[in-house]
Amino acid sequence: MPQDPSALEPSAPLSRRGLERLDLLLLSAEALDLNGGEAMVWMSEQMGFTSLFPNRVELWKRRCTNPLRRTTRREALAPAETDALIRILCALADRLYPLLRGLLTSAEPPEVISQRWDLFRGRLTELIQARMNPRRGGVQVLLDPESGARQARLLIQALALGAGVGGFERLRASLLDAQP
Amino acid sequence: MKQTLQYDQLSCRLKVEGLPDVSVGQGGEALGIITGWSLQWAGRPELEGRKEHLLALMQVVLPYARYLISGVSRRFGAEPQPVEIGPGSQGGHTLLLRSSQADTPPLQLALDDAELADLVRVLDQLRLDPRLQLPLELPQSLPLRARELLERRPLVQRLAAPVGGVLAVVVASGLGLLVPEPKPAAGPATRPAATQPAATPPASAP
Repeated sequence: MPQDPSALEPSAPLSRRGLERLDLLLLSAEALDLNGGEAMVWMSEQMGFTSLFPNRVELWKRRCTNPLRRTTRREALAPAETDALIRILCALADRLYPLLRGLLTSAEPPEVISQRWDLFRGRLTELIQARMNPRRGGVQVLLDPESGARQARLLIQALALGAGVGGFERLRASLLDAQP
Repeated sequence: MKQTLQYDQLSCRLKVEGLPDVSVGQGGEALGIITGWSLQWAGRPELEGRKEHLLALMQVVLPYARYLISGVSRRFGAEPQPVEIGPGSQGGHTLLLRSSQADTPPLQLALDDAELADLVRVLDQLRLDPRLQLPLELPQSLPLRARELLERRPLVQRLAAPVGGVLAVVVASGLGLLVPEPKPAAGPATRPAATQPAATPPASAP
C-alpha cells in the first residue's frame, strides 16, 4: 500500500540544530516569496493547525525557539508543533517549487541563474541581518559570501527535495539527524 | 480494465500501466498489478521496464534524496542492482541503468539538481497515489547517525584536528628536550652554614 505520511506518529523533539535549520528553511521560503510570512499564516489555517498556532504571534513565538535569533525563546517545542511547522514548510516549498527549480536548473543561461541567486541571497541576507544574532558563529557563516553561498544552495536543495506531501518524511528525518 | 497513471514534471513524465488485482477485490480505478512503466526525459532516451526495475529505481533515488537533504552525497546501488545513482564527477548527479541483457551496455544519465528534484517528485507522487494499491518495499526515511554526517566533510578537513593535535604534542616534546637540564645541587661542604645558629658572645657582667 502507498505510504501515508499523515499516518506517522509524531516524532521525537528536534535538537537545537534541528530548530535552527527548520527556522532557516522557513526563512528561505520567506526570502523566495515577499508575502512568505502571510502565506505561512494562511497555510497554517488551511492545513488545520489553528489549535497549535491560533494566530500569527503564536506562530512567530514558535519560530523564535531558534537559538540563532536575536530574541530567542528557551522553551522546547512539542513534537506535534515541530511536525506542523515541517508540514507548513513542505506545503510552502511545494507552492514555491517553480522558483526552487529555477534556481537549481543548469538548463538556462548562467547569467540568468546568477541573477536569481543574487536576488535570493540578497533577500535572505536582509532577513538574517534583521532577525538573527550577528554574534553567533552560525549567523556569521550564513553572512559570509563564500560559505553563505554554499549554505544557501543546501537550503534551496533541501526545500526542493522536501517539497510536497512526499517530502515531509525526508525533511523531518533530516531535521532529526544526530549532531556530528 | 487497463489503468494508466501519469505524473508530469517539467523535465520528466512517468507513466505506469497496470491492472486492478480483482483476486483481492480491487475496483476499476485501482492499480494492483504493474505491467509496465516508462520514464520520458526531455532530450534523453525514454526508459522502460518492468515492476522490478521501477522498484529498483525508487529504492535508490529516494534514499539518495534523503541523504542529500542532510548534505551527504552518497552513492546508492551496487553492481548487481539494476539502478545506481551517485554524485557526478563534474557536479550534478549520475544515474546508471544496467540492462539485464548481457550484450547491452549500461545507460548513464547526467542529471542536474532540478532534474533530480523532478524525478523525486514523480516518484513521490506515484508512491503516495491512493490508486496504486500494491506494497512497495521502500526504505523508511530515518535520521542519519553522526558518523554518516561526518562523511560529508572532506577527509583532509576531518583529519586536520587529530593530525594538528599530534603535531602540537611532538613540537612541545621537542621544545621540552631543548631546555637545559638544571645543574646538580652543590655538596654540603660548600653550603653556607646558614642552618647553624650564630655564636653569640656570652653576656659580660657589668
